[in-house]
Amino acid sequence: MKSYLKIGMGAALSALILSAPGAFADDEKIVVGFATAASGFMQAYDKPAEDAARIRIDEINKAGGLLGKQIEMVAADTKTDRAEGAKAGLEVIDKGADLVVVSCDYDFGAPAALAAEGAGKVSFFLCAESVKAGIQGVGPHSFSASVLAAVQGATMAEWAYTKKNARNFYRLLDTWTEYNKGICDGFDYQLPKLADAKLVGEDTFKNDDPSIAAQITRIKSLPQEPDAIMLCTMMPGAVSAIKQLRAAGINSMILNGSGVSGSYWLSAVPDLSNFFVPDQGSVHGDDPNPKVNEFNAKYKEVTGGDPSSQYVYPGYVMIDVWAKAVERAGTTEASAVVAELEKMKDEPTLFGPRTFTSELHHQNKGRYLITEISGGKPKVVDEWTISEPIPVDYLASK
Amino acid sequence: MHQRPSILARTWTTPVILIAILLAVALAAVAVSTGPFNQTVIEIFIRVVLVVGLYVFIGNSGVISFGHIGFTCLGAYMTAWLTMLPAIKKSKLKGLPDIILNAKLQYGWGLLAAAVFAAVCAYVIGKVLMRLSGIAASIASFAVLAVIIQVYSNWDSVTGAQSSVVGIPIIRTIWPYFACAVIVVVVAYFYSISRSGLALRAARDEATAAAASGVDIPRERLIAFVISGAMMGLGGALFAHSVGVVTPDTFYLGLTFITLSMLVVGGMNSLSGAVLGVVVLSTIIQVLRWFEKGIDVGGTVLTIPNGVQEIAIGIVMIVILMFRPTGMTRNRELVWPGKKLSAEAGAMPSSADGKTAKT
Repeated sequence: MKSYLKIGMGAALSALILSAPGAFADDEKIVVGFATAASGFMQAYDKPAEDAARIRIDEINKAGGLLGKQIEMVAADTKTDRAEGAKAGLEVIDKGADLVVVSCDYDFGAPAALAAEGAGKVSFFLCAESVKAGIQGVGPHSFSASVLAAVQGATMAEWAYTKKNARNFYRLLDTWTEYNKGICDGFDYQLPKLADAKLVGEDTFKNDDPSIAAQITRIKSLPQEPDAIMLCTMMPGAVSAIKQLRAAGINSMILNGSGVSGSYWLSAVPDLSNFFVPDQGSVHGDDPNPKVNEFNAKYKEVTGGDPSSQYVYPGYVMIDVWAKAVERAGTTEASAVVAELEKMKDEPTLFGPRTFTSELHHQNKGRYLITEISGGKPKVVDEWTISEPIPVDYLASK
Repeated sequence: MHQRPSILARTWTTPVILIAILLAVALAAVAVSTGPFNQTVIEIFIRVVLVVGLYVFIGNSGVISFGHIGFTCLGAYMTAWLTMLPAIKKSKLKGLPDIILNAKLQYGWGLLAAAVFAAVCAYVIGKVLMRLSGIAASIASFAVLAVIIQVYSNWDSVTGAQSSVVGIPIIRTIWPYFACAVIVVVVAYFYSISRSGLALRAARDEATAAAASGVDIPRERLIAFVISGAMMGLGGALFAHSVGVVTPDTFYLGLTFITLSMLVVGGMNSLSGAVLGVVVLSTIIQVLRWFEKGIDVGGTVLTIPNGVQEIAIGIVMIVILMFRPTGMTRNRELVWPGKKLSAEAGAMPSSADGKTAKT
């Protein structure tokens, strides 16, 4: 029986002896803490954006640092788990983080962001596109570096209406994630504002549906093929849906959110055409801004590969706007930095302007490049900014 | 005839030792006092609550339940509903009844309500389920879990469907969690030495004989099911307050299997096994995590690749079960050195390891 007792005591003792190595804030440097996923499925989203953030940090350090201090990066793995996320947030705060960077997705980033909020630190979601990633879902010190999903839907609707003369729209929503719903929410907001544009039908499916034959039949039975299909979905189900739509002989223009950005999946749908994607910057080497192409080259140099999708870019934007706010505030103290961030109105960045207000720490308007896939080849064909920002009240009510 | 001392007199050291272990863990957190370690200890206490909750039903009845994490989900949402800011509820969870919609309770009431709500649900479900035995009961309990998760993943106006429910007050001090773990251990102990607990254990080991001796098996099982349901609900509520976010998918297969593994590795039929399983496995997980980050040993940093922790914990569990198929405690209870074997093990030979314990 004694041996069992030993096990118990041993366990308790080992817990006592092994203490976490802690570090403390240092006045000589500024610390950016990454409470992001280094393992699990979110890693595929977090890592590229984190690399982009690192590039911006290196640039700042080479140029003499921030407020004359070097920026140091510390990281803790969330393991794509919410409970671990809270721990990771606390860990980087313990290591003295002045800025807490959290996972790309709202659901997985929120625990760490809430930990930062509780400690009175500024937190930034790497690329979350839900309105909750900010004041609404975390608190007054939380921001997102990306643009709301709703803006993508609204952008595509307005652009297709204006530039492609689309009048009859069909709305196909994959109900899997908040992100997908967000795209369609933006589309729903924009469509009634476009004179004589009409919704000829709508339908839903689920990302993992093996077949969307029923939905396709309903599109085919319309008296006239719609001018444009607003497809609110994301990987991995998007590829299958697109393939089935085209295989059924539906040749309407397909409008998307940025969830299908990038060219890595195009080989699965050979010769895809009449397909449009909003991008904050082009990963295909044809961005109208030469500096973006320079960034892509640098990204390849650092990571050994091209950016796979536009979700790399918000990481760079995040450090850029935060560092500017710190520079202007003259301190990393959270409330001063938040006040400076909230003064930003159309602040230019490499990937479009950024605006933060005391109501919204996210972009409800934004410049998007329109990438067309034609004959299976992606090419930037236009850029578009929605005429009016999407009201915060509308977003919050969704 | 020699009068045997009461069961309480013979076994009271077990909960005392277990509470001492929990206290040691709590003091470790105080000694280290870093945010992440504190959070780790909070997680250990939550798991103690959950695994002891599982033990109360599984350990005493011998019926493996895959559905208990469903009650954890019920508890987590209940405390979320009661303790969130009304403003957030009114915009996101419009379908809640007015009385809940306007409530803003302290977290202590949230915990209590979570336990009571989970217990009531366990009673209703248990009324039906407890008539089943063996694998049928296990699969039926799993079906209950699937139903609960599906309802909570899709009932948009009440649970926010798959979106995260946020705005739950976050409690980062360890003492409320410690207190709950202690309460749960004490309740589980008193249940297992109670008349109902002993009857259920008799039914576990020899159903026919127990039934013939007048044990109403479904009734005794139901009592255990309700108590363990309440504990699981409490554990869920604690989880909600420790992270501040709840989503239905947190309470599904991942949590089900990690808690069941901890129980089995510790020793399914003993309370000590439930507590030790959590403490030992959590400690190993934590040590491996530190190795993943790199530990400085005399100037050289030892590091194992990311993700090895998940593999290593699997191997550790296999090794433990190879040498101790009935768990680390061999289904016996911890007692003070010098005392004889626990009375329960003595009075009722453990069927699981097939050996009769000596008294």
